[in-house]
Amino acid sequence: MNRPLVLALVLVTGAALPLAAGELHGKVTCKGVRDSGDAVVYVAAIPGKTFPAPKEHARIDQMNLVFSPHVLPILVGTTVDFLNSDAVLHNVFSPDACADKFNLGTWPKGQIKSYQFKKECVSATLLCKVHPEMEAFVVAVPTPYFAVTKPDGSFHIANVPDGAYTVKVWHPKLKATQKAVTVAGSSTADFEIAK
Amino acid sequence: MSRSTRGARGMLFLAVGMALSCLVSTRANAVPAFSRKYQTSCQTCHSIFPKLNPFGTAFRLNGYHLPGETEEQVKQKPVSLGADAYARMWPEMVYPSSLPGDAPFALNVKMASLYASSHDDTGKTIVHNDFQFPQEANLFAAGTLGNHFSFFSEVTYGENPDGSGSVELEHARLDLISAFGPEHLFNFRIGKLAPNLYDGFQEMWLMTDNGVDTLFTYNPIGFNGGTGLAEEGGGVSLPARTRAIEMYGVATHRLFYTVGVSSPIGPGSSNGQFNNGSGKDFYARVDYKLGGLGLDGDSTGVTLPPENWRETSFRFGAFGYWGDGGDVDYAITDPEGNPFKMRQGRFSRLGVFGSLYLGDLNLIGVAVHGSDDLSLRDNDTGAEISQTTHTWDAWFAQADYVITPVFQVSARYENLRPADLSVDTQQTLNANFSFLVRANIKLMLEYRRDLHDSQNYQLATVLRAAF
Repeated sequence: MNRPLVLALVLVTGAALPLAAGELHGKVTCKGVRDSGDAVVYVAAIPGKTFPAPKEHARIDQMNLVFSPHVLPILVGTTVDFLNSDAVLHNVFSPDACADKFNLGTWPKGQIKSYQFKKECVSATLLCKVHPEMEAFVVAVPTPYFAVTKPDGSFHIANVPDGAYTVKVWHPKLKATQKAVTVAGSSTADFEIAK
Repeated sequence: MSRSTRGARGMLFLAVGMALSCLVSTRANAVPAFSRKYQTSCQTCHSIFPKLNPFGTAFRLNGYHLPGETEEQVKQKPVSLGADAYARMWPEMVYPSSLPGDAPFALNVKMASLYASSHDDTGKTIVHNDFQFPQEANLFAAGTLGNHFSFFSEVTYGENPDGSGSVELEHARLDLISAFGPEHLFNFRIGKLAPNLYDGFQEMWLMTDNGVDTLFTYNPIGFNGGTGLAEEGGGVSLPARTRAIEMYGVATHRLFYTVGVSSPIGPGSSNGQFNNGSGKDFYARVDYKLGGLGLDGDSTGVTLPPENWRETSFRFGAFGYWGDGGDVDYAITDPEGNPFKMRQGRFSRLGVFGSLYLGDLNLIGVAVHGSDDLSLRDNDTGAEISQTTHTWDAWFAQADYVITPVFQVSARYENLRPADLSVDTQQTLNANFSFLVRANIKLMLEYRRDLHDSQNYQLATVLRAAF
């Protein structure tokens, strides 16, 4: 095969493929809280771009009187299953309008109740009326590019197409922030948030 | 002064000193429950316990929250009694709160060796050299309940020289912090408490073992007005502790105020006897701090040395306490020995306060002017014979000096001019040398002397441990 033909094939097939998938990683420093975990880093809505809701359900477990995970980011439209793994009754409700102030009632061990987050919701607080200390958060965002920070503040979002985005950070107790980030291959963005 | 008068006063000096040292004491106190909560040393808040440094004062006035407290500073994770989100659902749901992560208890134990000398009526010198091991033990419970409530309580077991003991609930109070409006401005306290009226000079906040008896133990009852300190059973002086509802706050970081309504105290004790009268006493104080750390811990625009007991500041203010002695009859005699009864009616206490920090030196001064309406009554019928108003004045000046954080000294001069002008002014010297063996163990040598009589004195060696 001669070189001009190869070049032409590469150009044609390249044009037909999505933009090169990069990744975004970095660190969120959370001031005034015990550690830098539980911050949600996500790419804000991309003009002209929508993403279909995944068929797979996300899940939050209620085990040992604790919601797990404590913070769950999802793509808008995702259905979340709430499993009760405890031997006691649990309830799940949200006081937030963006989650329609849903109340799923009370159910026993082993059963699941579900709720679909149809709207962007940053964030929906999840509570249990049976155990007032229980608290969790669902963060329904408009893109599938999100991550939750580890206790050391690090995060990693895979498969982010190269491009320029607004990247937002949300935390259950700290003020949200955002900044413009250009992703080109493996890119880095660091944030600092406080009360 | 006649010998018998000197002897009587000497006995009283001894008796009051012994009583205050041996019986249930209001001397307090470091609260190691906070050391556990924040995993920090006593010296974060105390120059030498129980005396608070400027940061400790801010911590106390903030309702036992660190100035600008953040979550990671609280090392003992509190027990949640409700998710934060319930705050915005109130009153449909219970407002969230929390409990201390561990039981918020602490103990103080005090050992004392007391040597006291005095004259009795015959001029005899009486000497006590007593090992009071222990003299008292204090059980504290203190902490916060969420962001807006805090609590403080203290139960003291005092062991008397004869082996008998007494237990008293000295403090039991609940504070509502920053109830509304700007932060630190509107706080409320309810319970049995040391009023913030005395912030900085009540026994709880002094480095010396002895309190300022001339202010808090004066007995205003006497045929011609009060003659000196009360041993027991006297009228109301300046109540060191009350059962009260109090509002207090800090404005613009440096202006402090407090107002309170309290249940009358008496008969005869500044240390916790209450007559449960239907009338109420009132008190108020306002003061201002120039320089140094703000009263709420604000350090904006202030350069402070790393030695947290040091600063250059001046805090000054005025206070007042107004009350009624109630329908309590005190047995008295006239100069000829004829028996009468005396009631303490309306009374007022007006005072000024100042505290100057100059590096390692802290000068504290308080002056109080007291006025008492006394009703003289027939001993048999109780009928009122006469009503007179008597005034008295008391003041003290104290110098505390930090030689090093380990060694600290204090000297205090107290002056009391009783209402009965036939009695001399009482002058007392109180000197203290403190050795901070460890952050939570201190050894004190304290000398207290009647400046009118070299044979009236008391020397105490005190070992205190807080854990």
